[in-house]
Amino acid sequence: MNNKSLNIEVFFTFFIGTIFSIWGQSCDLAIAGNINDLHDGSPVYGALIKIENSDIFTQTDERGRYLLQGVCFGDLLLIVEHPQCNSLKRRIFIEADKVIDFELEHHINELDEIIISDDLLKQINLSANESRLDVNKINRFSSKSLADALNSFTGVSSLKTGNSIAKPMIHGMYGSRIGIIVNGIRLRDQEWGADHAPNIDLNAFENVQLIKGASALKYGGDMVGGVIILSPPKIELKDTLIGKTIVNLNQNGRGAFLSSDLRKTYSNGYYLKAQASGKRYGDIEAPNYILSNTGLKEVNFSFKFGRTRIIKGWEVNYSKFKNETGILRSAHIGNIQDLIRALKSKKPLRIEPFTYNIGSPKQQGIHHNIQFTVFNQFNNQAKWQWDYNYQVNQRKEFDIRRGNRSNKAAIDLKLQSHSLIGSLKWRKDISWNYEFGTNGLIQDNFSNPKTGIKRLIPDYLSYQLGSFFTGSYKPNNSFSWDWGFRVDRVTWDVKKYYNTSDWQTRNYQNVFSDFVVQDYGTQILVNPKLNFINWSAQTGIIYILGNHFRSNFSYILSQRSPNASEMFSDGLHHSLATIEYGNLFLNKEISHKFLMSFSRDRGIFKGSFEPYFSNIKDYIFIAPKSLKQTIRGAFPVWEYDSTNVLLWGIDSSIEIRLMNKMSLELNASYIYAHDKINNKPLISIPPFNTFQKFKYKFKNGFDIELSNRYVLSQNRFPNNNFLINSIQDGEITEDIVDISSPPKGYQYLDFSFSFPFNINEGLNTSIRFMIDNLTNTKYRDYLNRMRYYSDEIGLNAKFQLIMSY
Amino acid sequence: MDSLSYIKLSAIILIFSVLSNGCSSDEDQPELIQEEELITTVKLTFKSSDETQIIQWNAEGTNSESIQLKANSIYDVAVEFLDESDPVDIEDITTEVIEEANDHQVFYEFSGVNVTYETSDTDTLDDNQNPLYINSLWNSGEPGSGKVRVYLIHEPTSKSSNDRNGFGGETDIQVDIPLNIN
Repeated sequence: MNNKSLNIEVFFTFFIGTIFSIWGQSCDLAIAGNINDLHDGSPVYGALIKIENSDIFTQTDERGRYLLQGVCFGDLLLIVEHPQCNSLKRRIFIEADKVIDFELEHHINELDEIIISDDLLKQINLSANESRLDVNKINRFSSKSLADALNSFTGVSSLKTGNSIAKPMIHGMYGSRIGIIVNGIRLRDQEWGADHAPNIDLNAFENVQLIKGASALKYGGDMVGGVIILSPPKIELKDTLIGKTIVNLNQNGRGAFLSSDLRKTYSNGYYLKAQASGKRYGDIEAPNYILSNTGLKEVNFSFKFGRTRIIKGWEVNYSKFKNETGILRSAHIGNIQDLIRALKSKKPLRIEPFTYNIGSPKQQGIHHNIQFTVFNQFNNQAKWQWDYNYQVNQRKEFDIRRGNRSNKAAIDLKLQSHSLIGSLKWRKDISWNYEFGTNGLIQDNFSNPKTGIKRLIPDYLSYQLGSFFTGSYKPNNSFSWDWGFRVDRVTWDVKKYYNTSDWQTRNYQNVFSDFVVQDYGTQILVNPKLNFINWSAQTGIIYILGNHFRSNFSYILSQRSPNASEMFSDGLHHSLATIEYGNLFLNKEISHKFLMSFSRDRGIFKGSFEPYFSNIKDYIFIAPKSLKQTIRGAFPVWEYDSTNVLLWGIDSSIEIRLMNKMSLELNASYIYAHDKINNKPLISIPPFNTFQKFKYKFKNGFDIELSNRYVLSQNRFPNNNFLINSIQDGEITEDIVDISSPPKGYQYLDFSFSFPFNINEGLNTSIRFMIDNLTNTKYRDYLNRMRYYSDEIGLNAKFQLIMSY
Repeated sequence: MDSLSYIKLSAIILIFSVLSNGCSSDEDQPELIQEEELITTVKLTFKSSDETQIIQWNAEGTNSESIQLKANSIYDVAVEFLDESDPVDIEDITTEVIEEANDHQVFYEFSGVNVTYETSDTDTLDDNQNPLYINSLWNSGEPGSGKVRVYLIHEPTSKSSNDRNGFGGETDIQVDIPLNIN
């Protein structure tokens, strides 16, 4: 195996190296210049200069200088932006290196100091592997979920339950191993649930950054997989009122999506923004049948107001997310024999006529998020910021129940989180930067007893206190070094009823007898109090060779203590007919990860090659343990356990751009994950997949995109199959329940066609037609929990209208 | 710097008020949940002209006995589903099943022995006159030993079938009880 993997790496290195040397002839020009203030001629620091319709951009340094490289011969539009200024556009023709100076009009006169801010396009962590979704891509995915939108990045997949419940997966990790950062605060929904999608409306944001590898120590040290950072639009200091409305119509699901926002800013720094969106879909359709009970309803709302004077400011932010998602009716089963029947059937066992109604089984989620932020740069070198945030996440799940109880939630959880982050940024000089901070988190989970069903997750309080210290050193434009440390203390105070028999068979009675509060005969109330201390650290360097070739190396140590689900879950899962148990004996997970990235961006060619390697001790996962005889028949018991894992993978991408019109993108990623203790592959690891996109831009703004996703079958999977007896013609026979074999590989095409048209000066409009799964391909995906029951969504024709005013 | 310390102070007050709030909200113990719609016991009553036999299978699986039938005889069989999780308050789930006759189906499957069954006069019928087999007549064949698998099916896709798969739906009850024909 080792030999083979080495060969692959050698091959890739050679392949990419060859391509690097072939391309890059005519796009070798540079534009340089100074940007100064119109009034006093002082240099403007941090202005962004970019070339429209390209990925080329830069920022001015302290002396107002900029340098754009890798510019192609021909006509182009330069855009200069700065948070305190009106942006400038200039169309130029370039045939040789050129010097162009700009003068920007500053709106704040008192500003003669260096600004310590989150630079417009700064990377959260310099040496991390990062990808980004800009506002155009967000618009394009506006009716989809966060996971779908990130799916086009190499190394990212989605873990799904049906079509609309999707969790982003980075380098094979999901849930608590991924941080989702919203407005600078980590999203606290019930991320540990495999069938719980992040409660986020993508449309409230203008920038989504994806950082592979846990390097955002400011937000936590437990994000082994990576971080997704969602940022709202930047506030400009000028008197304007701008807005945007997006209308989406979907043929599949026969539904619509509408999003609208309005932003008012004043030159004195005050601003307010309101945004709302709604979605409604009926049952979606696979190529050959309707997926009954897969409708969706969603309503989101957010507003914020505040004042920014660049060096200091404050903000109040509120958002509400509410949805109701139907879960495929056929996936609600009573026992293993029902599962075998579903596995043997080529299509779902219940197919009903199309409806907008959402019956049981279904999920309802509500998420409120309130946030207060203040920041102040109190001298030329230092800036502090406080963020307080309160989140309420309510999740209800409805099962098919007897005696009119289907309207009564079977799971009803309310998670409240308070968090506070205080941080101090210190810019020692041009090359040394530091940030220090501390944060506290209190979480209170309440599991409503009115369900009449044993709590899946118990009532608990959890406290977390963490401190971080990060720094970076950037002596010049071709080298930087960054590092950071973080320590967290996590405390659990849980009140849980165990079935007395479970408490005894798991050997808890001997080890955890101190936790017992009261014995109620068949049930026993215990109060586990657990403490974890997690250390995390990170360091990395970036080295840029000859302006175009960039390499970075980083090492990340992360420690994650088990989450509520891993320690305490206790209940029956109707979608797989499994009984799921948490494990009180779990230790914290310790991961060492090495990431490398080599990229080249020059002229018509852009490419990256990113291998990574990680070794995880006490990796927590769920695996089948035994069969339990119940009155419903025999049930497999799945229990959380830990093992040591070796995981490595390669993400690579190539983009070729021709004449500013055409581009071809090729992405591929591979992950190898092995359970070293049990000597078998790890479950639910994305198979090898590739993504290709061809884009052509016409003169008049029309553009066409055709993309192809090709996913191989996962041939490395653990065998969790088991035997069960059934009666056939009066004889008892044994049946294999095959829940392990991954589905076949698949491939599908997406097509999109868009064109802008301007009705009048203040209104920019564009229309887009999209067809997902153009050939109506029938396929099932290994990472979709519904793969046992149904095919994925078929052809979906969509119409989108975007209006900016 | 004045405003700075003021804001810092208020932030500290804020976090402490939040902390104290968070801590006090969950003082009392969580409520004990008695599971609803739980079936702990399947009870079968066999009546022939000269005897009555009661067989119980409960959730712990401890007291399953074997059914003893005489060869070539007819038995009146009644099935009951009970929730005995609270011994002081035993609930009869059979009434719920009968009330929702359209959404339920009882089904028996035999292995190793030859037994046939049909609906009886006292059986419950759903809106479409399909028998639920809550009450049934069993016809035993030649001596032998095997088992009967008792099913309660929720929301079956079909109300008549010769095997479990034909009914579709979700299995609420599936228990195996040894059966001897003497």
